[in-house]
Amino acid sequence: MAHLAHYREAHPLPMRITHWINLSCMVLLILSGFLIHFPFWAALTGVARGLHVFCGIVLLVNCIVRYVLAFLVTSAPTGGTRNRIRDYKTWMPQDDNKHQLIPWIKYYLFMKKDHPLSAKLGVPQKISYFAIGILILIMAYTGFCLWIPTSEWTFFAAGTAFVGGAMSMRIIHYFMMFVFIIFTMLHGYLVFIEGTANANLMFFGKEHGGLVYDPNRHVIVGEDHSVDQH
Amino acid sequence: MVTEAISPEFLSKLEARGVSRRSFMKLCGSLAVAAGLSELAAPRVARAIEDSVIGAESGGLYPAIWIEGASCTGCTESFAQVDAPDPATVVLEMVSLNYCETLSAAAGWSMEEAKAQTIEAGNYILIYEGAVLEGWNGEALRVANEPGTDHLVHAAENANAVVALGSCAVNGGWMGANPNSAGALGVQQYLKKQGIDTPVINIPGCPANPEWLEAVLVDAILVGKLPELTADNKPKVIFNQTIHDNCERRGHFENGEFVYAFGTEEEAKGYCLYPMGCRGPQTKANCGVVRWNHRRSWCVASGGPCIGCCTANPNDPGENWVETNTPFRARFRDLRIGGLVVQPEAIAWTLTGVVAAALVIHGFGMKKMGRTDGGADFEPIREWDKKHPNESIGQYDEEVLKGGK
Repeated sequence: MAHLAHYREAHPLPMRITHWINLSCMVLLILSGFLIHFPFWAALTGVARGLHVFCGIVLLVNCIVRYVLAFLVTSAPTGGTRNRIRDYKTWMPQDDNKHQLIPWIKYYLFMKKDHPLSAKLGVPQKISYFAIGILILIMAYTGFCLWIPTSEWTFFAAGTAFVGGAMSMRIIHYFMMFVFIIFTMLHGYLVFIEGTANANLMFFGKEHGGLVYDPNRHVIVGEDHSVDQH
Repeated sequence: MVTEAISPEFLSKLEARGVSRRSFMKLCGSLAVAAGLSELAAPRVARAIEDSVIGAESGGLYPAIWIEGASCTGCTESFAQVDAPDPATVVLEMVSLNYCETLSAAAGWSMEEAKAQTIEAGNYILIYEGAVLEGWNGEALRVANEPGTDHLVHAAENANAVVALGSCAVNGGWMGANPNSAGALGVQQYLKKQGIDTPVINIPGCPANPEWLEAVLVDAILVGKLPELTADNKPKVIFNQTIHDNCERRGHFENGEFVYAFGTEEEAKGYCLYPMGCRGPQTKANCGVVRWNHRRSWCVASGGPCIGCCTANPNDPGENWVETNTPFRARFRDLRIGGLVVQPEAIAWTLTGVVAAALVIHGFGMKKMGRTDGGADFEPIREWDKKHPNESIGQYDEEVLKGGK
């Protein structure tokens, strides 16, 4: 029952905002998407269509903004430190991640007792967060293939023809929504299963004391509880 | 014009074969009745036959060949209900229908001969109904002692244009659906394979709306040019908007007023059929504007959700309207995985359920291992570092090794 200290440097304000936008857009997109697929709540279907397109565009723009921010904003390379590096570097393989993919998998399969050391993002996290960015772009593409005002643009019409028509594109769009749903289930589970400190930091910027990590020596060097509220 | 088959010449031909004027008129009367006209139309039929241009290079009427490939004749039947001009006017006053399995006066060898002469003379339009069957070297369909595919090739080569009439002619239609054992495909794709570049006009539908064919014939024959076409070579004016765009129930869709089951009050009120699997939003055709059966009604007006019978990608028999849209009452098509036919929803929810169950089980494991309150203790030293002290990532010292507790 030990974890690294949760400092705001891990998730600076711009990242917390884009995360909120991601969360709210995805929830609204999934709900309105189900309504568009089948109008189980008839009165809301008209609203759902408008909302779906709106949130889709916001999510896409937010995704691009987040990529750009990764190059502009600095954040902590690991938990338990107030050091900062360019955020995009925390998406890349870091020394702290080296050789740690297998230990992470073993840990979650209960084949390893100790919590593996890691960068801010573990290896499976880096892979899945990177994939989500790409998925948002693909999802937006399939969405524009289906949205009537853009569906006839050559760029989108070619994709629709490639996958075998609008019905196939709809099914791909639908399956990809489930990729987001399953990702969110896993993401939420892994965040909350070991406590609420991570979520408190990401959602509300609330810090939490714990072990201190030295990102230069890649080791835990002490403990800090000065930020805990008593 | 010496090449025009004028009446005296025609009558002398008949007389040479021992057919009197009287028995010719009698035949015309029977033909008129067979075509659903009154016997009073006999003189018009006679005039049309006299004016026909079989074997001639030009004449009063535009020569047309109507070949049925693998067809159910539904498109011909549909055409017989065309509104204005009526089918009699079309076949008697607009075109010289030199070959048509259903409507021709002649039969057998004489008819094949008429076709051969028309093809040789050129300057005609070919209407092809039904799928092209490539299976068994084209022997899946054999007509007049020749593979069906040869008939198409011969007739298409010399034609001014080919009208692929009905979804089967556009891309194989329901014959293109799995397993497509006869090797069905559309006219455009087959002609391309054969290197024949006669322009193809695709008119999908099961059956094709007769007004659509007539619009194309009027353009091609009376106006003398092909209609403006989409990328799929379908007439733009007909196939550029969805059923949904012009649906008379669209208002109910916008209001969120839907039919969820047949026999309900909502159905009686004429609400939107979207939850009943209506394919209107993704099917491009102007059915709701042109309507059917002398423009009296159409599928949605009569209470039937659109089943997307105009879905037809001319380059892909797999994207046929049956496979793309069945089951018609579901919002998605079925997917085929090996021999298994399954709805996308079933796959998606099953997978989600499995992941959710796995997470619940995993959660109990985490609880049991005491990791739910901040996680397990950190490893004091990375596993890899322990095994490779010389290349160690972490720089551990005594104090550090104690710190991970």
